Amino acid sequence: MKTLQMMTRRSGVSLARAWRKAKAVDWFQRITFLGLLLLAVFMALPIIFIFNHAFKPINELFLYPPRFIVQEPTLENFRDLFLKTQSLVIPFTRYLFNSLLTTSLTMIGVIGVSSMAAYAFSKHVFPGSKFFFALTIFALMFAPEAVAIPRYLVIANIGIMNTYFAHIIPLIAAPTSVFLMKQFVDQIPNELMEAARIDGAKEWLIFFRIVMPVCTPAIATVAILTFQGAWSQTETSNLYIQVESMKTLPYYVMTLTNGLANNVVGQGIAAAVGLIMFVPNLIIFLVSQRRVLATMAHSGIK
Amino acid sequence: MGSVSFQHVKKQYATERRYSVDDFHLQVEDGEFLVLVGPSGCGKSTLLRMLAGLEDISEGEIYIGDRMVNYVSSKDRNIAMVFQNYALYPHMSVFENIAFGLRLRKLPKHELQERVTRAAKVLEIEALLDKLPKHMSGGQRQRVALGRAIVREPEVFLMDEPLSNLDAKLRVQMREEITKLHRKLQTTMIYVTHDQIEAMTMGTRIVVMRSGIIQQVGTPKEIYQSPKNMFVAGFIGTPPMNFIHGTIQHTSDGVFFDTRRYRLLIPAKKAKVLIDQRYHDKRIVLGVRAEKIACKDSVDWSLTQSQFDSTVDMLEFMGSDTYLHLNNTDHSLIVRVDPLRLGFQEGDTVTVGFDMNNVHFFDPGTEELLC
Repeated sequence: MKTLQMMTRRSGVSLARAWRKAKAVDWFQRITFLGLLLLAVFMALPIIFIFNHAFKPINELFLYPPRFIVQEPTLENFRDLFLKTQSLVIPFTRYLFNSLLTTSLTMIGVIGVSSMAAYAFSKHVFPGSKFFFALTIFALMFAPEAVAIPRYLVIANIGIMNTYFAHIIPLIAAPTSVFLMKQFVDQIPNELMEAARIDGAKEWLIFFRIVMPVCTPAIATVAILTFQGAWSQTETSNLYIQVESMKTLPYYVMTLTNGLANNVVGQGIAAAVGLIMFVPNLIIFLVSQRRVLATMAHSGIK
Repeated sequence: MGSVSFQHVKKQYATERRYSVDDFHLQVEDGEFLVLVGPSGCGKSTLLRMLAGLEDISEGEIYIGDRMVNYVSSKDRNIAMVFQNYALYPHMSVFENIAFGLRLRKLPKHELQERVTRAAKVLEIEALLDKLPKHMSGGQRQRVALGRAIVREPEVFLMDEPLSNLDAKLRVQMREEITKLHRKLQTTMIYVTHDQIEAMTMGTRIVVMRSGIIQQVGTPKEIYQSPKNMFVAGFIGTPPMNFIHGTIQHTSDGVFFDTRRYRLLIPAKKAKVLIDQRYHDKRIVLGVRAEKIACKDSVDWSLTQSQFDSTVDMLEFMGSDTYLHLNNTDHSLIVRVDPLRLGFQEGDTVTVGFDMNNVHFFDPGTEELLC
């Protein structure tokens, strides 16, 4: 009985404290919080929908009015996707393989080129360094559509049409990533590199053993951005690839959703593919976000 | 071995017209603890960076031992440097931080392990070896930075204001430890600081610099007791030396230093030098340390020759000492007194006297020491 009394008193105290805390938050903050909460729910709805849609049986896919939450989840759509499309001229897995290969190579390429360029721009003075950095900033301003024709000509003339290079090379020059990385490398104190130099490290070693590890948050950010861009883009498949077997998954998804708009059977496959397109983005984000948040850069420095 | 020789070294940055380091010529002996001291921007760090190979040398030559190192890369100069912000590799453990340089030299594993452990023992950081820099305090990081330097067993240690990021108490402690470390290792150390207390307490020899030019080189005692010019006199010592402007008067009673308010008899030896140099009736600056001025009734009173009255403007209680700020209408004086013996109040009138055998005379134009 006594303990019960104490417990109620304590909970009363903690409640009172929570209430006082809540009262300390002003009205503006409360309204902002509510607004942001609603916005978060609104943003989360499509994600919930993608997940549920992929597991809906055919009758639920065409349910009117449509429902967000799946009633009787099934793997039928995935089975259709993997089995039925295998018998087609180009199986779904080929597109998936193309996408995984080109996206990962693009990611590696962008991270490599951007971080090296950023290090050079930030920590070294070489003839024309300012000019080339200005050029990089200038390149930020171009809309991709504006350079589509010259880019096509370049790709056609260097003879990489219908190869994986056509998916990768146009994306490797990423001014945004260079800029982002440079801003980060700028914050690394010069003493860190000087200490390594005195310790006996050469330029490459300083880059790989000191600069790159310290830049992990920036690299993670670039990785997310590049992945999202490369994974979902269809331009390279559209413009530089005429051979169907060399095209990528997003292109396949596009043909599904466009061509099969009225096709009853295709809807389930499209829903499954939609989820497959989405999941890697989520995984990459979840894996890298901790790195993005981790600020390691200045922990060795006061 | 670990001697360093600067031969008329100059440094000029492309963007600046004047030299950041101008005609620096100095021989540093093996095993010496040389402190470069001066206000910020005096070129002391630039000089150190030139010695480390992090800056180009515009003119002149630098030798480490018998070897001219102007065109030798940093890693081949056999030096180690400790930076102001420690510059620890943030992603590596303490062990890896210390071992990094040894790994690059491809040292056998057992030797590497042994040397890192030995360095850690010297600095008492054995317990920290697995930690990351971000999980350590400023003092611990400083120790690791020192460890990274000593593990390489260099010919010369370079330290660029290594203590200025530490809080006051820790600074005193680390000061002592670096001095002990130097005594233990007997390696040449070149230490840059803007803190004259660090310079005085740690250095076997001090180089005072201003605007890239050496002002004076000497032991702490020499620099304190016979500063070559007004800059050195004002920069070294706390509180700074008092400067009083006046003229020299040669009368039948003797030679006097004359301000508008009082006259001070100059001892014969100093008087002769001044008169020989034709300073009679000319403007001159008298420099006197706070402890060479005594108040009436204090222990040192017997040493004073000339007395005058003054009013107490402000009191600074330092614990062991009290500094009296005296107001003499045209100039102020700082006097050190024993707080236990003499109780003063602001506004009191005190009689003070100078120990005239221990004052300095400077030329007001060149600011050079006369006697």
